[in-house]
Amino acid sequence: MPRTGTQWESRPNLPPTHYVDPRVYTDQSLFEEEREKIFDKVWAIVCHESEVPNAYDYRRCQHMGGKELLVVRGKDMKIRVFYNQCPHRGNVIAFEPSGNAKRLTCIFHLWSFDTKGNCVEITREKEGFQDRLSKKDVGLRAVKSEIDMGGFVWVNVDDDCEPLSEFLGDSIDFLQGELSTAPLEIMCYHKTIVPTNYKLWHDTNRDLYHEFLHRQNRLIAMGQPGYLDRQYHMHVHGHVTADPSVNSYKNIEKGTDIRREMGWPGGEANLHKLLNLFPTVTYNMRPPALRIDTMVPLGPEETIVEFRGYGIKGDSDEVRRERMRDYNSFWGPFGRNLPEDFIAIVGQSIGLNHGRGSPYILHGREEETPHSEVCIRHYFAEWSRMMGRSAADPFNEMPAVAAE
Amino acid sequence: MATTKTATKKPRSKSAAAAKPTLKKKVEFRFETLFEREKAVRELIARTCLTMDAYDFNSYLDLCHEDFQYTITTYSPELRKDIIWLDHDKMGMKTLLDVLPLHASDHFLRLTMSRHLSVYTIDYSANDTRASVVSGLQVFNTAKDGGVTELLSVAKYFDTVALEGGKASLLSREVRLDTRMLGETGSLIPF
Repeated sequence: MPRTGTQWESRPNLPPTHYVDPRVYTDQSLFEEEREKIFDKVWAIVCHESEVPNAYDYRRCQHMGGKELLVVRGKDMKIRVFYNQCPHRGNVIAFEPSGNAKRLTCIFHLWSFDTKGNCVEITREKEGFQDRLSKKDVGLRAVKSEIDMGGFVWVNVDDDCEPLSEFLGDSIDFLQGELSTAPLEIMCYHKTIVPTNYKLWHDTNRDLYHEFLHRQNRLIAMGQPGYLDRQYHMHVHGHVTADPSVNSYKNIEKGTDIRREMGWPGGEANLHKLLNLFPTVTYNMRPPALRIDTMVPLGPEETIVEFRGYGIKGDSDEVRRERMRDYNSFWGPFGRNLPEDFIAIVGQSIGLNHGRGSPYILHGREEETPHSEVCIRHYFAEWSRMMGRSAADPFNEMPAVAAE
Repeated sequence: MATTKTATKKPRSKSAAAAKPTLKKKVEFRFETLFEREKAVRELIARTCLTMDAYDFNSYLDLCHEDFQYTITTYSPELRKDIIWLDHDKMGMKTLLDVLPLHASDHFLRLTMSRHLSVYTIDYSANDTRASVVSGLQVFNTAKDGGVTELLSVAKYFDTVALEGGKASLLSREVRLDTRMLGETGSLIPF
Protein backbone atom coordinates (compact mmCIF):
# COMPACT_ATOMS: atom_id res chain seq x y z
CA MET A 1 0.00 0.00 0.00
CA PRO A 2 1.42 3.44 -0.87
CA ARG A 3 2.30 5.59 2.12
CA THR A 4 1.76 9.23 2.93
CA GLY A 5 4.64 11.59 3.57
CA THR A 6 4.28 11.18 7.32
CA GLN A 7 4.23 7.42 7.04
CA TRP A 8 7.24 7.52 4.73
CA GLU A 9 9.23 9.61 7.21
CA SER A 10 8.33 7.60 10.32
CA ARG A 11 10.84 5.16 11.70
CA PRO A 12 10.27 1.45 11.11
CA ASN A 13 8.82 -0.69 13.85
CA LEU A 14 12.14 -2.41 14.39
CA PRO A 15 14.88 -2.09 17.01
CA PRO A 16 17.23 0.82 16.26
CA THR A 17 20.00 -1.71 15.61
CA HIS A 18 18.08 -2.84 12.53
CA TYR A 19 18.19 0.37 10.51
CA VAL A 20 20.50 3.33 10.09
CA ASP A 21 20.05 7.02 9.49
CA PRO A 22 21.08 7.64 5.84
CA ARG A 23 23.29 10.49 6.95
CA VAL A 24 25.84 7.94 8.18
CA TYR A 25 26.52 7.55 4.46
CA THR A 26 26.47 11.20 3.45
CA ASP A 27 27.26 13.61 6.28
CA GLN A 28 30.55 15.51 6.06
CA SER A 29 30.94 16.00 9.82
CA LEU A 30 30.43 12.29 10.49
CA PHE A 31 33.00 11.52 7.82
CA GLU A 32 35.59 13.80 9.44
CA GLU A 33 34.90 12.09 12.74
CA GLU A 34 35.31 8.66 11.12
CA ARG A 35 38.76 9.71 9.93
CA GLU A 36 39.79 10.57 13.46
CA LYS A 37 38.07 7.80 15.40
CA ILE A 38 38.16 4.89 12.95
CA PHE A 39 40.47 5.28 9.95
CA ASP A 40 43.44 6.49 12.00
CA LYS A 41 42.90 3.83 14.69
CA VAL A 42 42.42 0.51 12.91
CA TRP A 43 44.70 -1.78 10.92
CA ALA A 44 44.37 -1.66 7.15
CA ILE A 45 45.94 -3.37 4.14
CA VAL A 46 47.82 -1.03 1.83
CA CYS A 47 49.48 -3.52 -0.55
CA HIS A 48 51.04 -6.98 -0.78
CA GLU A 49 54.63 -8.02 -0.24
CA SER A 50 54.79 -9.21 -3.86
CA GLU A 51 54.32 -5.61 -4.99
CA VAL A 52 57.81 -4.89 -3.67
CA PRO A 53 59.58 -8.18 -4.45
CA ASN A 54 63.16 -6.91 -4.71
CA ALA A 55 65.51 -4.99 -2.50
CA TYR A 56 64.97 -1.23 -2.88
CA ASP A 57 61.53 -1.66 -4.44
CA TYR A 58 58.99 0.88 -3.28
CA ARG A 59 55.25 1.24 -3.67
CA ARG A 60 53.36 4.46 -3.19
CA CYS A 61 50.05 3.88 -1.39
CA GLN A 62 47.27 5.86 0.15
CA HIS A 63 46.08 5.22 3.67
CA MET A 64 42.35 5.23 4.32
CA GLY A 65 42.81 8.21 6.61
CA GLY A 66 44.24 10.18 3.70
CA LYS A 67 47.96 9.90 4.43
CA GLU A 68 50.37 9.31 1.58
CA LEU A 69 52.42 6.22 2.37
CA LEU A 70 55.58 4.70 0.98
CA VAL A 71 56.11 0.95 1.33
CA VAL A 72 59.80 0.16 0.93
CA ARG A 73 61.77 -3.07 0.88
CA GLY A 74 65.27 -2.54 2.20
CA LYS A 75 68.57 -4.15 1.36
CA ASP A 76 67.87 -6.44 4.33
CA MET A 77 64.64 -7.48 2.51
CA LYS A 78 62.56 -6.10 5.35
CA ILE A 79 59.48 -4.14 4.39
CA ARG A 80 59.02 -0.80 6.11
CA VAL A 81 56.33 1.82 5.77
CA PHE A 82 56.74 5.59 6.02
CA TYR A 83 54.76 8.68 5.30
CA ASN A 84 55.53 9.57 1.71
CA GLN A 85 56.39 13.05 2.77
CA CYS A 86 59.59 15.03 2.97
CA PRO A 87 60.08 16.49 6.48
CA HIS A 88 61.42 19.70 4.93
CA ARG A 89 58.50 21.31 3.09
CA GLY A 90 56.03 18.45 3.01
CA ASN A 91 56.41 17.48 -0.62
CA VAL A 92 55.67 13.88 -1.54
CA ILE A 93 58.89 11.96 -2.06
CA ALA A 94 57.73 9.31 -4.51
CA PHE A 95 55.48 10.42 -7.33
CA GLU A 96 55.34 7.19 -9.33
CA PRO A 97 53.07 4.38 -8.11
CA SER A 98 56.07 2.08 -7.78
CA GLY A 99 59.76 1.91 -8.49
CA ASN A 100 63.20 0.89 -7.27
CA ALA A 101 65.66 3.28 -5.63
CA LYS A 102 68.51 2.90 -3.18
CA ARG A 103 67.86 6.42 -2.03
CA LEU A 104 64.52 8.14 -1.80
CA THR A 105 65.18 11.69 -2.89
CA CYS A 106 62.75 14.56 -2.73
CA ILE A 107 62.74 16.36 -6.07
CA PHE A 108 62.17 19.74 -4.44
CA HIS A 109 65.50 20.37 -2.62
CA LEU A 110 67.12 16.94 -3.03
CA TRP A 111 66.93 15.81 0.56
CA SER A 112 67.59 12.06 0.54
CA PHE A 113 66.54 9.15 2.72
CA ASP A 114 67.60 5.53 2.91
CA THR A 115 65.23 2.57 2.95
CA LYS A 116 65.26 2.54 6.75
CA GLY A 117 63.86 6.06 6.84
CA ASN A 118 67.08 7.81 7.85
CA CYS A 119 67.82 11.14 6.29
CA VAL A 120 71.19 10.71 4.57
CA GLU A 121 71.49 14.01 2.73
CA ILE A 122 70.43 17.56 3.43
CA THR A 123 71.52 19.74 0.60
CA ARG A 124 73.96 22.38 1.93
CA GLU A 125 73.15 21.27 5.46
CA LYS A 126 75.81 23.17 7.40
CA GLU A 127 75.35 26.37 5.44
CA GLY A 128 71.67 26.50 6.12
CA PHE A 129 71.15 24.90 9.49
CA GLN A 130 74.62 25.27 11.07
CA ASP A 131 74.27 23.02 14.16
CA ARG A 132 70.63 23.83 14.90
CA LEU A 133 69.21 20.88 12.96
CA SER A 134 70.84 17.84 11.43
CA LYS A 135 69.97 14.73 9.48
CA LYS A 136 69.19 12.73 12.60
CA ASP A 137 66.37 15.18 13.39
CA VAL A 138 64.56 14.79 10.09
CA GLY A 139 64.08 11.09 9.45
CA LEU A 140 60.92 9.90 7.75
CA ARG A 141 57.82 9.22 9.83
CA ALA A 142 57.67 5.44 10.32
CA VAL A 143 54.29 3.75 10.31
CA LYS A 144 53.53 0.60 12.27
CA SER A 145 53.35 -2.29 9.88
CA GLU A 146 53.07 -6.06 9.88
CA ILE A 147 53.13 -8.60 7.07
CA ASP A 148 50.36 -11.10 7.71
CA MET A 149 47.32 -13.00 6.46
CA GLY A 150 48.85 -14.08 3.17
CA GLY A 151 51.72 -11.63 2.89
CA PHE A 152 49.69 -8.46 3.01
CA VAL A 153 51.22 -5.23 4.24
CA TRP A 154 49.07 -4.08 7.13
CA VAL A 155 49.56 -0.63 8.60
CA ASN A 156 48.25 1.39 11.48
CA VAL A 157 49.10 5.08 11.77
CA ASP A 158 48.34 5.02 15.50
CA ASP A 159 51.62 4.34 17.31
CA ASP A 160 49.69 3.12 20.35
CA CYS A 161 47.45 0.69 18.49
CA GLU A 162 46.76 -2.86 19.55
CA PRO A 163 48.71 -5.62 17.77
CA LEU A 164 47.32 -6.78 14.44
CA SER A 165 46.61 -10.23 15.89
CA GLU A 166 44.27 -8.73 18.47
CA PHE A 167 42.54 -6.61 15.87
CA LEU A 168 41.90 -9.65 13.67
CA GLY A 169 41.03 -12.06 16.46
CA ASP A 170 40.05 -15.49 15.21
CA SER A 171 38.57 -14.24 11.95
CA ILE A 172 41.71 -15.34 10.14
CA ASP A 173 41.24 -19.01 11.07
CA PHE A 174 38.63 -19.30 8.35
CA LEU A 175 41.19 -18.77 5.56
CA GLN A 176 44.30 -20.06 7.24
CA GLY A 177 44.74 -22.96 4.82
CA GLU A 178 44.36 -20.89 1.69
CA LEU A 179 46.61 -18.10 2.92
CA SER A 180 49.43 -20.12 4.42
CA THR A 181 49.91 -23.21 2.23
CA ALA A 182 51.74 -21.41 -0.58
CA PRO A 183 52.97 -17.84 -0.93
CA LEU A 184 50.69 -15.52 -2.86
CA GLU A 185 51.65 -13.26 -5.72
CA ILE A 186 49.71 -10.38 -7.15
CA MET A 187 48.40 -10.86 -10.70
CA CYS A 188 46.37 -7.78 -11.36
CA TYR A 189 45.29 -4.50 -9.89
CA HIS A 190 42.77 -1.84 -10.65
CA LYS A 191 40.90 0.84 -8.84
CA THR A 192 37.79 2.89 -9.24
CA ILE A 193 36.64 6.18 -7.81
CA VAL A 194 32.99 5.76 -7.11
CA PRO A 195 30.65 8.55 -6.00
CA THR A 196 29.42 6.80 -2.92
CA ASN A 197 30.21 6.15 0.72
CA TYR A 198 32.76 3.49 1.55
CA LYS A 199 30.33 1.72 3.88
CA LEU A 200 27.91 1.09 1.05
CA TRP A 201 30.57 -0.88 -0.81
CA HIS A 202 31.43 -2.83 2.29
CA ASP A 203 27.73 -3.42 3.07
CA THR A 204 27.43 -4.97 -0.37
CA ASN A 205 30.46 -7.18 0.15
CA ARG A 206 28.99 -8.45 3.43
CA ASP A 207 25.44 -8.81 2.25
CA LEU A 208 24.89 -12.15 0.52
CA TYR A 209 21.20 -11.30 0.11
CA HIS A 210 22.31 -9.13 -2.80
CA GLU A 211 23.45 -12.21 -4.73
CA PHE A 212 20.06 -12.01 -6.42
CA LEU A 213 21.59 -9.09 -8.34
CA HIS A 214 24.18 -11.30 -9.99
CA ARG A 215 23.26 -13.69 -12.75
CA GLN A 216 26.51 -15.53 -12.19
CA ASN A 217 25.81 -16.08 -8.49
CA ARG A 218 22.26 -17.19 -9.15
CA LEU A 219 23.55 -19.84 -11.52
CA ILE A 220 26.65 -21.09 -9.78
CA ALA A 221 25.83 -20.78 -6.08
CA MET A 222 22.25 -19.98 -5.13
CA GLY A 223 20.75 -23.15 -6.50
CA GLN A 224 23.28 -25.44 -4.90
CA PRO A 225 22.24 -27.83 -2.09
CA GLY A 226 22.89 -26.32 1.31
CA TYR A 227 23.12 -22.75 0.05
CA LEU A 228 20.56 -21.48 2.53
CA ASP A 229 21.93 -23.60 5.39
CA ARG A 230 24.99 -21.42 5.69
CA GLN A 231 25.47 -19.18 8.69
CA TYR A 232 27.33 -15.97 9.44
CA HIS A 233 29.96 -15.96 12.15
CA MET A 234 30.70 -12.80 14.09
CA HIS A 235 34.21 -11.97 15.22
CA VAL A 236 35.82 -9.20 17.25
CA HIS A 237 35.86 -5.62 15.97
CA GLY A 238 32.95 -6.13 13.60
CA HIS A 239 34.63 -8.72 11.41
CA VAL A 240 32.41 -11.37 9.88
CA THR A 241 32.72 -14.64 7.99
CA ALA A 242 30.08 -16.80 6.36
CA ASP A 243 30.11 -20.54 5.81
CA PRO A 244 31.55 -21.15 2.36
CA SER A 245 29.27 -21.58 -0.61
CA VAL A 246 29.68 -24.54 -2.91
CA ASN A 247 29.95 -23.32 -6.48
CA SER A 248 29.08 -25.31 -9.56
CA TYR A 249 29.85 -23.85 -12.96
CA LYS A 250 27.93 -26.35 -15.04
CA ASN A 251 25.05 -23.92 -15.59
CA ILE A 252 27.15 -21.20 -17.11
CA GLU A 253 29.78 -20.90 -19.75
CA LYS A 254 28.66 -23.71 -22.02
CA GLY A 255 31.42 -23.91 -24.58
CA THR A 256 33.51 -21.56 -22.53
CA ASP A 257 37.24 -21.19 -22.84
CA ILE A 258 37.59 -20.75 -19.08
CA ARG A 259 38.86 -23.76 -17.14
CA ARG A 260 38.25 -23.86 -13.42
CA GLU A 261 39.76 -27.13 -12.33
CA MET A 262 43.10 -25.89 -11.04
CA GLY A 263 41.84 -24.94 -7.59
CA TRP A 264 43.95 -23.34 -4.88
CA PRO A 265 46.57 -24.81 -2.53
CA GLY A 266 45.15 -25.40 0.92
CA GLY A 267 41.57 -24.98 -0.24
CA GLU A 268 38.86 -26.79 -2.12
CA ALA A 269 38.36 -25.91 -5.76
CA ASN A 270 34.62 -25.32 -5.58
CA LEU A 271 34.40 -23.51 -2.22
CA HIS A 272 33.87 -19.78 -2.19
CA LYS A 273 34.86 -18.06 1.06
CA LEU A 274 34.26 -14.50 2.19
CA LEU A 275 35.96 -12.70 5.05
CA ASN A 276 34.91 -9.13 5.72
CA LEU A 277 37.06 -7.07 8.04
CA PHE A 278 35.91 -3.84 9.61
CA PRO A 279 35.94 -1.22 8.24
CA THR A 280 37.11 -1.61 4.63
CA VAL A 281 38.81 -4.93 3.80
CA THR A 282 37.32 -7.97 2.08
CA TYR A 283 38.99 -11.30 1.32
CA ASN A 284 37.09 -13.05 -1.46
CA MET A 285 38.50 -16.54 -2.05
CA ARG A 286 36.98 -18.15 -5.12
CA PRO A 287 39.45 -20.61 -6.60
CA PRO A 288 41.46 -20.36 -8.73
CA ALA A 289 42.04 -16.78 -7.59
CA LEU A 290 41.82 -14.55 -4.54
CA ARG A 291 40.39 -11.05 -4.63
CA ILE A 292 41.14 -8.42 -2.01
CA ASP A 293 39.15 -5.19 -1.74
CA THR A 294 40.51 -2.20 0.11
CA MET A 295 39.24 1.35 0.19
CA VAL A 296 40.39 4.91 0.57
CA PRO A 297 37.40 7.06 1.47
CA LEU A 298 37.94 10.51 -0.05
CA GLY A 299 34.79 12.06 1.32
CA PRO A 300 31.40 10.99 2.56
CA GLU A 301 30.27 10.40 -0.99
CA GLU A 302 33.50 9.60 -2.80
CA THR A 303 35.60 6.48 -2.37
CA ILE A 304 38.56 4.85 -4.05
CA VAL A 305 37.97 1.10 -4.19
CA GLU A 306 41.09 -0.93 -4.95
CA PHE A 307 40.96 -4.48 -6.28
CA ARG A 308 43.84 -6.89 -6.23
CA GLY A 309 43.80 -10.34 -7.77
CA TYR A 310 46.20 -13.04 -6.56
CA GLY A 311 47.64 -16.27 -7.78
CA ILE A 312 50.39 -18.41 -6.34
CA LYS A 313 54.04 -17.40 -6.41
CA GLY A 314 55.86 -19.57 -8.92
CA ASP A 315 52.81 -20.19 -11.13
CA SER A 316 53.80 -20.93 -14.72
CA ASP A 317 52.80 -18.32 -17.28
CA GLU A 318 50.05 -20.64 -18.52
CA VAL A 319 48.61 -21.20 -15.06
CA ARG A 320 48.87 -17.52 -14.23
CA ARG A 321 47.01 -16.58 -17.38
CA GLU A 322 44.28 -19.07 -16.56
CA ARG A 323 43.86 -17.72 -13.04
CA MET A 324 43.79 -14.19 -14.38
CA ARG A 325 41.25 -15.09 -17.05
CA ASP A 326 38.91 -16.60 -14.48
CA TYR A 327 39.40 -13.79 -11.96
CA ASN A 328 38.81 -11.06 -14.49
CA SER A 329 35.80 -12.78 -16.03
CA PHE A 330 34.08 -12.13 -12.70
CA TRP A 331 35.88 -9.30 -11.02
CA GLY A 332 37.93 -7.39 -13.52
CA PRO A 333 36.74 -4.01 -14.78
CA PHE A 334 35.19 -5.93 -17.71
CA GLY A 335 33.97 -8.75 -15.48
CA ARG A 336 30.38 -9.83 -15.14
CA ASN A 337 29.96 -9.27 -11.42
CA LEU A 338 31.87 -6.17 -10.45
CA PRO A 339 30.10 -3.68 -12.72
CA GLU A 340 26.79 -5.01 -11.37
CA ASP A 341 27.82 -4.27 -7.79
CA PHE A 342 28.91 -0.79 -8.79
CA ILE A 343 25.69 0.08 -10.56
CA ALA A 344 23.82 -1.06 -7.43
CA ILE A 345 25.71 1.18 -5.03
CA VAL A 346 25.73 4.11 -7.43
CA GLY A 347 21.97 3.69 -7.58
CA GLN A 348 21.84 3.70 -3.79
CA SER A 349 23.79 6.94 -3.70
CA ILE A 350 21.48 8.56 -6.22
CA GLY A 351 18.54 7.46 -4.08
CA LEU A 352 20.12 8.71 -0.87
CA ASN A 353 20.26 12.15 -2.47
CA HIS A 354 22.94 13.50 -0.14
CA GLY A 355 21.00 12.39 2.92
CA ARG A 356 17.71 13.88 1.79
CA GLY A 357 16.36 10.71 0.18
CA SER A 358 15.22 7.68 2.11
CA PRO A 359 14.58 8.51 5.78
CA TYR A 360 16.30 5.30 6.90
CA ILE A 361 18.13 2.31 5.47
CA LEU A 362 16.94 -1.09 6.60
CA HIS A 363 19.28 -3.80 7.83
CA GLY A 364 16.51 -5.72 9.51
CA ARG A 365 16.47 -9.22 8.04
CA GLU A 366 16.69 -11.93 10.68
CA GLU A 367 16.92 -15.51 9.51
CA GLU A 368 19.27 -18.43 9.95
CA THR A 369 20.53 -18.16 6.39
CA PRO A 370 23.09 -16.10 4.48
CA HIS A 371 20.28 -13.70 3.67
CA SER A 372 20.21 -12.38 7.20
CA GLU A 373 21.44 -8.81 7.59
CA VAL A 374 23.09 -9.57 10.90
CA CYS A 375 26.41 -9.19 9.07
CA ILE A 376 25.71 -5.50 8.48
CA ARG A 377 24.27 -4.99 11.97
CA HIS A 378 27.49 -6.41 13.37
CA TYR A 379 29.42 -3.83 11.34
CA PHE A 380 27.34 -0.94 12.61
CA ALA A 381 27.62 -2.14 16.19
CA GLU A 382 31.39 -1.68 15.88
CA TRP A 383 30.93 1.61 14.05
CA SER A 384 28.67 2.88 16.83
CA ARG A 385 31.13 1.71 19.50
CA MET A 386 34.05 3.52 17.91
CA MET A 387 32.11 6.64 17.01
CA GLY A 388 30.18 6.87 20.28
CA ARG A 389 27.03 7.38 18.25
CA SER A 390 24.01 5.35 17.34
CA ALA A 391 23.95 4.63 13.60
CA ALA A 392 20.16 4.87 13.75
CA ASP A 393 20.28 8.28 15.42
CA PRO A 394 23.78 9.69 14.95
CA PHE A 395 22.82 13.22 15.98
CA ASN A 396 20.76 12.26 19.06
CA GLU A 397 17.60 13.65 17.57
CA MET A 398 15.43 10.86 18.94
CA PRO A 399 15.82 10.57 22.71
CA ALA A 400 14.05 7.22 22.79
CA VAL A 401 16.57 5.75 20.36
CA ALA A 402 19.58 7.22 22.11
CA ALA A 403 18.45 5.71 25.39
CA GLU A 404 18.22 2.15 24.01
CA MET B 1 49.06 4.99 -46.47
CA ALA B 2 50.00 1.38 -46.25
CA THR B 3 52.28 -0.17 -48.85
CA THR B 4 53.96 -3.53 -49.04
CA LYS B 5 56.61 -5.28 -51.05
CA THR B 6 54.05 -7.54 -52.65
CA ALA B 7 51.72 -4.70 -53.48
CA THR B 8 54.23 -3.23 -55.91
CA LYS B 9 54.45 -6.56 -57.73
CA LYS B 10 50.74 -6.76 -58.40
CA PRO B 11 49.20 -5.80 -61.75
CA ARG B 12 47.92 -2.26 -61.64
CA SER B 13 45.96 -2.32 -64.88
CA LYS B 14 43.86 -4.72 -66.88
CA SER B 15 46.58 -4.99 -69.53
CA ALA B 16 49.18 -5.82 -66.94
CA ALA B 17 46.89 -8.42 -65.41
CA ALA B 18 46.22 -9.94 -68.82
CA ALA B 19 49.93 -10.30 -69.40
CA LYS B 20 50.21 -12.38 -66.23
CA PRO B 21 47.17 -14.66 -66.16
CA THR B 22 48.36 -16.75 -63.22
CA LEU B 23 48.79 -13.68 -61.08
CA LYS B 24 45.35 -12.42 -62.09
CA LYS B 25 43.79 -15.67 -61.01
CA LYS B 26 45.58 -15.37 -57.66
CA VAL B 27 44.25 -11.88 -57.14
CA GLU B 28 40.71 -12.92 -58.00
CA PHE B 29 40.75 -15.23 -55.04
CA ARG B 30 41.61 -12.26 -52.94
CA PHE B 31 40.73 -8.75 -53.94
CA GLU B 32 40.55 -7.21 -57.39
CA THR B 33 42.54 -4.15 -56.42
CA LEU B 34 44.65 -2.84 -53.61
CA PHE B 35 41.97 -0.27 -53.04
CA GLU B 36 39.36 -2.97 -52.52
CA ARG B 37 41.63 -4.85 -50.17
CA GLU B 38 42.28 -1.82 -48.04
CA LYS B 39 38.64 -0.80 -48.16
CA ALA B 40 37.69 -4.25 -46.91
CA VAL B 41 40.15 -4.00 -44.03
CA ARG B 42 39.06 -0.51 -43.02
CA GLU B 43 35.38 -1.35 -43.25
CA LEU B 44 35.86 -4.48 -41.20
CA ILE B 45 37.49 -2.56 -38.38
CA ALA B 46 34.82 0.11 -38.53
CA ARG B 47 32.00 -2.42 -38.57
CA THR B 48 33.33 -4.12 -35.45
CA CYS B 49 32.82 -0.79 -33.71
CA LEU B 50 29.43 -0.06 -35.22
CA THR B 51 28.03 -3.48 -34.38
CA MET B 52 29.26 -3.28 -30.80
CA ASP B 53 27.92 0.27 -30.44
CA ALA B 54 24.54 -1.12 -31.50
CA TYR B 55 24.85 -4.05 -29.07
CA ASP B 56 24.44 -6.19 -32.18
CA PHE B 57 26.68 -8.91 -30.85
CA ASN B 58 25.79 -11.57 -33.39
CA SER B 59 26.79 -9.32 -36.25
CA TYR B 60 30.02 -8.55 -34.43
CA LEU B 61 30.79 -12.24 -34.14
CA ASP B 62 30.01 -12.69 -37.83
CA LEU B 63 32.91 -10.35 -38.55
CA CYS B 64 35.28 -12.54 -36.55
CA HIS B 65 37.34 -15.40 -37.95
CA GLU B 66 36.66 -18.86 -36.52
CA ASP B 67 40.11 -18.73 -34.87
CA PHE B 68 39.40 -15.31 -33.36
CA GLN B 69 41.32 -14.32 -30.22
CA TYR B 70 40.39 -11.28 -28.16
CA THR B 71 42.23 -9.63 -25.29
CA ILE B 72 41.96 -6.40 -23.36
CA THR B 73 45.35 -5.53 -21.94
CA THR B 74 47.04 -2.70 -20.16
CA TYR B 75 50.28 -1.87 -18.44
CA SER B 76 50.06 -1.38 -14.69
CA PRO B 77 52.56 1.17 -13.36
CA GLU B 78 51.53 -0.01 -9.88
CA LEU B 79 52.73 -3.55 -10.54
CA ARG B 80 55.18 -2.69 -13.32
CA LYS B 81 53.83 -5.39 -15.57
CA ASP B 82 51.17 -6.11 -18.16
CA ILE B 83 47.69 -7.18 -17.12
CA ILE B 84 45.10 -9.01 -19.22
CA TRP B 85 41.60 -7.95 -18.29
CA LEU B 86 39.66 -9.97 -20.83
CA ASP B 87 40.92 -13.02 -22.65
CA HIS B 88 38.70 -15.08 -24.91
CA ASP B 89 38.61 -17.13 -28.07
CA LYS B 90 35.61 -16.89 -30.38
CA MET B 91 33.53 -19.35 -28.40
CA GLY B 92 34.40 -17.54 -25.19
CA MET B 93 33.37 -14.23 -26.73
CA LYS B 94 30.12 -15.73 -27.97
CA THR B 95 29.39 -17.13 -24.53
CA LEU B 96 30.06 -13.72 -23.01
CA LEU B 97 28.13 -11.68 -25.55
CA ASP B 98 25.14 -14.04 -25.53
CA VAL B 99 24.53 -13.46 -21.83
CA LEU B 100 25.45 -9.79 -21.51
CA PRO B 101 21.84 -8.60 -21.93
CA LEU B 102 20.92 -10.78 -18.94
CA HIS B 103 23.20 -8.77 -16.67
CA ALA B 104 22.57 -5.46 -14.92
CA SER B 105 24.82 -2.96 -16.64
CA ASP B 106 25.29 0.76 -16.67
CA HIS B 107 25.43 0.46 -20.42
CA PHE B 108 21.93 -0.93 -20.59
CA LEU B 109 20.43 1.17 -17.79
CA ARG B 110 21.93 4.64 -17.86
CA LEU B 111 24.40 4.94 -20.69
CA THR B 112 25.06 4.24 -24.32
CA MET B 113 28.56 3.56 -25.57
CA SER B 114 30.17 4.79 -28.76
CA ARG B 115 33.56 3.95 -30.16
CA HIS B 116 35.49 6.51 -32.17
CA LEU B 117 38.12 4.99 -34.35
CA SER B 118 41.08 6.16 -36.42
CA VAL B 119 42.95 3.56 -38.45
CA TYR B 120 46.60 4.51 -38.18
CA THR B 121 48.56 1.86 -40.06
CA ILE B 122 47.89 -1.24 -42.17
CA ASP B 123 50.71 -3.66 -42.94
CA TYR B 124 50.20 -6.72 -45.10
CA SER B 125 51.93 -10.04 -44.75
CA ALA B 126 54.22 -11.23 -47.53
CA ASN B 127 51.56 -13.47 -49.02
CA ASP B 128 48.80 -10.90 -48.59
CA THR B 129 46.66 -13.18 -46.43
CA ARG B 130 47.02 -11.14 -43.26
CA ALA B 131 46.85 -7.47 -42.44
CA SER B 132 48.15 -6.00 -39.19
CA VAL B 133 46.17 -2.93 -38.31
CA VAL B 134 46.82 -0.38 -35.60
CA SER B 135 44.01 2.00 -34.74
CA GLY B 136 43.41 4.69 -32.18
CA LEU B 137 40.26 4.24 -30.14
CA GLN B 138 38.27 6.49 -27.89
CA VAL B 139 35.21 5.15 -26.13
CA PHE B 140 32.54 7.56 -24.98
CA ASN B 141 29.58 7.19 -22.65
CA THR B 142 26.44 9.16 -23.36
CA ALA B 143 23.85 9.38 -20.62
CA LYS B 144 20.34 8.41 -21.61
CA ASP B 145 19.02 11.05 -19.22
CA GLY B 146 19.98 14.41 -20.70
CA GLY B 147 22.50 13.15 -23.21
CA VAL B 148 25.76 14.35 -21.71
CA THR B 149 28.79 12.62 -23.23
CA GLU B 150 31.93 11.74 -21.31
CA LEU B 151 35.14 10.07 -22.35
CA LEU B 152 35.34 6.56 -20.91
CA SER B 153 38.60 5.29 -22.30
CA VAL B 154 41.54 5.95 -24.60
CA ALA B 155 43.05 2.87 -26.19
CA LYS B 156 44.50 1.31 -29.30
CA TYR B 157 43.36 -1.65 -31.32
CA PHE B 158 46.10 -4.00 -32.46
CA ASP B 159 44.23 -6.14 -34.97
CA THR B 160 45.12 -8.98 -37.28
CA VAL B 161 42.78 -9.29 -40.23
CA ALA B 162 42.55 -12.49 -42.22
CA LEU B 163 42.20 -11.94 -45.97
CA GLU B 164 40.87 -15.20 -47.29
CA GLY B 165 38.52 -16.06 -50.13
CA GLY B 166 38.01 -12.43 -51.01
CA LYS B 167 36.77 -11.69 -47.52
CA ALA B 168 38.25 -9.83 -44.58
CA SER B 169 37.60 -11.18 -41.09
CA LEU B 170 38.97 -10.27 -37.70
CA LEU B 171 41.48 -12.89 -36.63
CA SER B 172 42.71 -11.29 -33.45
CA ARG B 173 42.20 -8.10 -31.49
CA GLU B 174 44.21 -6.72 -28.62
CA VAL B 175 42.56 -3.71 -27.05
CA ARG B 176 45.47 -1.96 -25.42
CA LEU B 177 44.14 0.47 -22.83
CA ASP B 178 45.71 3.72 -21.77
CA THR B 179 42.79 4.45 -19.48
CA ARG B 180 42.65 2.05 -16.56
CA MET B 181 39.95 3.67 -14.47
CA LEU B 182 36.80 3.02 -16.45
CA GLY B 183 34.08 5.33 -15.27
CA GLU B 184 32.17 4.68 -12.09
CA THR B 185 31.22 1.10 -12.77
CA GLY B 186 33.66 -0.45 -15.23
CA SER B 187 32.17 -1.97 -18.36
CA LEU B 188 30.39 -5.23 -18.89
CA ILE B 189 30.65 -4.65 -22.61
CA PRO B 190 34.00 -5.27 -24.28
CA PHE B 191 35.55 -2.50 -26.33
